[in-house]
Amino acid sequence: MHGSGLLRFSLQRLLWVLPTLWMLITIAFFLMRVAPGGPFDAEKTLLPEIQANLNSKYHLDESLPRQYVRYLGQVARLDFGPSFQYKDWTVNQLIAQAFPVSLTVGSLAMALAFLAGTMLGIAAALRQNSVLDYSLMGVAMLGISIPNFVIAPLLILLLAVYAGWLPAGGWDWGFAAMVLPVVTLALPVTAYIARLTRASMIEVLHSHFIRTARAKGLPERKVIFTHALKPALLPVVSFMGPATAGLISGSVVIERVFSIPGLGSYFVQGALNRDYTLVMGVVIFYGTLIILLNFLVDLVHAWLNPKIRYDDQR
Amino acid sequence: MKARFLLLLCLLLCQQTLAATLRRGLGPEPDSFDIHQAQGLPAIQVLRDIREGLLTYDAGGHVVPGVAARWQVHDDGRTYLFELRHDARWSNGDPVVAGDFVRAWRRALSPGTLARTASLLLPVVNAGEAMKGKVDAGALGIRALGDDRLEIKLTSATPWFPEILAHPVSFPLHPGAADRPLEAPVNGPFMFDEISPHAMIRLKKNPYYHSAASVGLDAVEYFPVEDPNSELSRYRAGALAITETIPAGRHEWLSTYMGDELRVSPYVGSFWLGLNLKRPPFKGDVNLRRALSLAIDRRIIARLVLGAGELPAWSIVPPGMAGYRPQPFPGSEMEQQAREAEARKYYALSGHGEDKPLHVEIRYNTSSQHRKIALAVSSMWRQVLGVTSSLVNEEWKVFVNNRHQGAVTQVFRGGWIADYADPTSFLDLFRSDNELNTTFYDNRTYDRLLDQAALLGGELRMQRLEKAERLLLADMPVIPLFFYVSRHMVKPWVTGFEPNIRDIHLSRYLGVNKTKQ
Repeated sequence: MHGSGLLRFSLQRLLWVLPTLWMLITIAFFLMRVAPGGPFDAEKTLLPEIQANLNSKYHLDESLPRQYVRYLGQVARLDFGPSFQYKDWTVNQLIAQAFPVSLTVGSLAMALAFLAGTMLGIAAALRQNSVLDYSLMGVAMLGISIPNFVIAPLLILLLAVYAGWLPAGGWDWGFAAMVLPVVTLALPVTAYIARLTRASMIEVLHSHFIRTARAKGLPERKVIFTHALKPALLPVVSFMGPATAGLISGSVVIERVFSIPGLGSYFVQGALNRDYTLVMGVVIFYGTLIILLNFLVDLVHAWLNPKIRYDDQR
Repeated sequence: MKARFLLLLCLLLCQQTLAATLRRGLGPEPDSFDIHQAQGLPAIQVLRDIREGLLTYDAGGHVVPGVAARWQVHDDGRTYLFELRHDARWSNGDPVVAGDFVRAWRRALSPGTLARTASLLLPVVNAGEAMKGKVDAGALGIRALGDDRLEIKLTSATPWFPEILAHPVSFPLHPGAADRPLEAPVNGPFMFDEISPHAMIRLKKNPYYHSAASVGLDAVEYFPVEDPNSELSRYRAGALAITETIPAGRHEWLSTYMGDELRVSPYVGSFWLGLNLKRPPFKGDVNLRRALSLAIDRRIIARLVLGAGELPAWSIVPPGMAGYRPQPFPGSEMEQQAREAEARKYYALSGHGEDKPLHVEIRYNTSSQHRKIALAVSSMWRQVLGVTSSLVNEEWKVFVNNRHQGAVTQVFRGGWIADYADPTSFLDLFRSDNELNTTFYDNRTYDRLLDQAALLGGELRMQRLEKAERLLLADMPVIPLFFYVSRHMVKPWVTGFEPNIRDIHLSRYLGVNKTKQ
């Protein structure tokens, strides 16, 4: 019953992936083209012959629906085309170079946020209404309200320029270069997870089955970590989906401030340069990632909370 | 045993201290390292370090011989005969021959290449026709007379053409790997060592470069940094030795606290407010245009709004063009009070006043500096003339598009940075048939003056161009505001960084003075 329930659940969820992706591609494609200005608009205009040849090479002279169909065909073959702006590279190559960087920063930040956030939240919940609780939640509030483009330059100034302990930006796969970006990216998410964990933990600790466990004489450590933790983490796990999306969008700012060669910078620069192929490639890539991650989150959620699986079957 | 170990250690340490590496900020990521596709300044800057053309620049930004040892000009400036250096080599040891230039130029001007900067080579015979595919590449006006002699024929005398020979679009190409710019052999002072896109471009010394002995650096590391604030942070943290620019609004702080590292220098760029002559209110109303121009106090804008050493501009062509006399428009000599009175006079003459107030739109692309300039100009117009204005801030591509179409623009931010240091680089912008003429200024007398100047040489040519600029300024299709400056932060232990009007600082002239570090 356990196994087949989960399988049916996964298949149902997976069925939605392709239509969602298709809608994403379509909306992004037409939105990009609607924006005024094109990839070859510049202060120093090109000669008309060159402009015409470029338009024909990149099929920009065809009707929009035709370009759309042609693009769908390319995407089906996983060919995202050449970059308009960075002419030495294809979009596939650019994404292949940038994704490992963004993945590293993103997953480290996510791991840090989850671990630190849950630990702080549990600590605050266990010492509810104490000085520790209030100070932790106060700091968490600051972490949520202060935007990361304010915190990042501040940390750079203090830790890199004045103290010289860490580099002020750049990326060389070394540990020192990772510290500030990962921490800055993780901060708002950590804060949010801490508050969420605390609230959820407090609620769970007041529930009946916990009272029963304590009444049975179980040691406090077992009560918290074996029995209370799993249900308390449910809201946090649900939050991981939007948290990932938040990390991805936060990474755009972080990557610019710290000059990290990740996907986020392609988003912004690509849009500003009207680099249609690059932006579409990154949008599709991120979109697929988020959809798959949300699917995984749903799976974990269903595993943690059997009630969801059974509800779906009715 | 111990002695040998110590010796090895010593050698290793010496190796470290002897390796002179310079770390430079680059600005945005380069768009391409193919000499025919590179359009942006970052890519061109790197290309100038790894490749060399017939001519190159010295540390002060003057055009000097490169691969060419000497040359002669015949035929009233229409034929150039170059004799190449015998020690010019590619990074794989092959000699640089005249055929390498011919091959490269044919590629630049063939329709399939879609070379972005090919318009710079238009003065060459049959260049336009070759690009349209009308003639065979062999008909192009460039010919190899043996391995070390090159002949270039132009359709008409083009005094600024030598400078094009220092631009990457005219550089030679090795026969192998022409379409793989990251792997092809190069002939410049440096060569590619390691490229991490959007992170770092590392160049190492090219041992086959003809003047390798004079190159003081072993390696150059370029760091593309999109955000000037990030670049400044990395400079202050010691990760960069030279920055590409400084963040807007930080000039005052930097000149107070880091003044000896801040290098500001005039630049071949001009900033003006363009006026759309195709639409009201500026269509056919020269009095209004003069009024608006005279009402602006350029000294306040240059000193207080900008404050980085920009020069107030009373003309289009910036100073520093050899042989050309600046042509400030009438009114530049007056005191500001007298200028404002003159402005009110012209305003009344144009029929505007309290009963017929004027409202204009000032358009600019997103930038805090442009916004400040627009605000200052708008308040000056209101104070002096009673003209109200709305400020329209547009994203770059939208802005460029609107300016090009001319359907909604009235007053808009404009300007130009020269490709080559000749007055025509600016004056040609206002030809009636020029695509870049976003003011839609149409004066056939002006066009004729420029055509006449193209047939003259030396002093006479300059005089004709000066006359053209005077005519242009009398018609005032644009309101000149200021001339650009280039700004860099340079560590005190960097040597060879000289101020120059083209802002070209080739790495081969730079050095690292270890004793000062």
